Amino acid sequence: MEFIGKIFVMAIAAIFVQNFVLMRFLGLCPYIGVSKKLDSAIGMGMAVIFVMTMASTFTWLIQSYLLIPLKLEFLQTIAFILTIASLVQLVEMIIQKLAPALYKALGVYLPLITTNCAVLGVAILNINENYSFIEAILNGLFGGVGFTLVLILMAGIREKLEKAELPRAMKGMPIAMIVAGSMALAFLGFSGLKL
Amino acid sequence: MIKEFTKGFIKENPVFVMALGLCPTLAVSSSVMNAIGMGLAATFVLVCSNIMISLIKNFVPNKIHIPAYIVVIASFVTIVDMVMEAYVPALHKSLGLFIPLIVVNCIILGRAEAFAGKNNVFKSMLDGLGMGLGFTLALSVIATIREILGAGQFLGMQVLPTSYKPMLVAILAPGAFIVMGLLMGAMKLKKKK
Amino acid sequence: MSYFLKLGFVLLVITVIASGILAYVNSLTEPIILENQRKAKAEARLEVLPEAATFDSIGTFNAENVFAGKDADGNLVGYVFLASLYGYSSDVKSMVGVNKDLIVNKIKVISQTETPGLGANCIKPEFQAQFSDKGLGEMKVNKDGGPIISITGATITTRTITNSIKNGLLELEKLIPAEAETSEEVTK
Repeated sequence: MEFIGKIFVMAIAAIFVQNFVLMRFLGLCPYIGVSKKLDSAIGMGMAVIFVMTMASTFTWLIQSYLLIPLKLEFLQTIAFILTIASLVQLVEMIIQKLAPALYKALGVYLPLITTNCAVLGVAILNINENYSFIEAILNGLFGGVGFTLVLILMAGIREKLEKAELPRAMKGMPIAMIVAGSMALAFLGFSGLKL
Repeated sequence: MIKEFTKGFIKENPVFVMALGLCPTLAVSSSVMNAIGMGLAATFVLVCSNIMISLIKNFVPNKIHIPAYIVVIASFVTIVDMVMEAYVPALHKSLGLFIPLIVVNCIILGRAEAFAGKNNVFKSMLDGLGMGLGFTLALSVIATIREILGAGQFLGMQVLPTSYKPMLVAILAPGAFIVMGLLMGAMKLKKKK
Repeated sequence: MSYFLKLGFVLLVITVIASGILAYVNSLTEPIILENQRKAKAEARLEVLPEAATFDSIGTFNAENVFAGKDADGNLVGYVFLASLYGYSSDVKSMVGVNKDLIVNKIKVISQTETPGLGANCIKPEFQAQFSDKGLGEMKVNKDGGPIISITGATITTRTITNSIKNGLLELEKLIPAEAETSEEVTK
């Protein structure tokens, strides 16, 4: 029971209180870039959840069983980014073989994920915060869910914005930023939550 | 030649015009000190990796361009990380996570792929320097606005009378997005004219 | 096949060269980093308990040594410990100096990355000064009915520092009896 409670706390913290996009500023490029259409936002979100969970798992193992025993902590950044890049490649190949339908939906987003800083960010955060193996995986999973949530919300708003009358200069990117600001303001309300 | 250097300041400013490298831009622009530190760290990585990549571009087969570039970039980032921790520990601490994340800053990989992989060493160096300083400039502008509005300070010094009640939201996450959005709009308006 | 071998080989060479360079830079910077950290802690200890000439470890708290500070003649003048808790967005660590009766002498926040303009104001001397001359019973924020006035807009950070000091004082109480007995023996 206590374990379930802990999972719940981690979920709320990673999804709302410390939302990767709005509070930690991670993964902004896809957040602004892939939020024009709802369909693509959902696809990107799912791909990110998947890769963030996998990346958390593997980078934690590499840090604990390879880099620390060999005293190679200074190679952390290189090791992590290479792990993520190969992971993304691998995931791409596996999905293509096993689930062609899923590949069709996610395929175009997968290569973009390597340079999504939320992925490398969660891997480094897990190490900095001394998370255990299970905590690291959950942090990756819920971090991804939080990312997807705000991405989908944003896409919903932007689809409506298309039809709104705006000053020409504010169209597109600038108004997206302002909307993101308002969302961040709303999410700030969660930050008083001390779990 | 000069054009390679100055294009990054305004015309092709990586942040305002190309909307690259948004994460560090918004995250570390809550104080001018952080913004300058981050800008210079990224500039160093950009210049070094641009030089290195234009040197090795002929030896690296096409298929593994990206992984090879990433290794080069990650190495320079790690060097910056270690050197900063040794000599400016306070700044290193407040930038924290965003130093290793320079690796995935799209500006750097973007310039490597779009420019350094195709041009000679000298031009690549100028391009890196220009883009890096453009990035630093953009960060500093945002940070100046946020620090003055949100804390009444500039570089930690009080510039507004203490009776000014700081607009805290400017320094928090929402302020970052809103200031950024307004500045982008202003840039677009200027371009239209 | 040989093409793929070549690809792998080129990548391997690049990675090996990069690792070599990094290992070299690391060997240069690591001692400086460790020395900086050691120095910063030693300076902070002296700042929060200036009467002390020597510091002897009497146990550990938060995986850091708790020190008993003694003056030049070997008389106990107080204790120093590192208080640390997770605040709003980072671990907030402060060096705390207390006198023999466990009343806080001075605190110094030595590491934090709280929100600039809000929580980060905890490094201001005016804020840190209000912990001086307070004991365990007074380690409470004004919102919870105590005497510590919280930073505007940063109750969490204030509460974190206050609680971290409270935890440290409680731990110190447990550590001291053993220490007190031994020092008594010395005076006999």
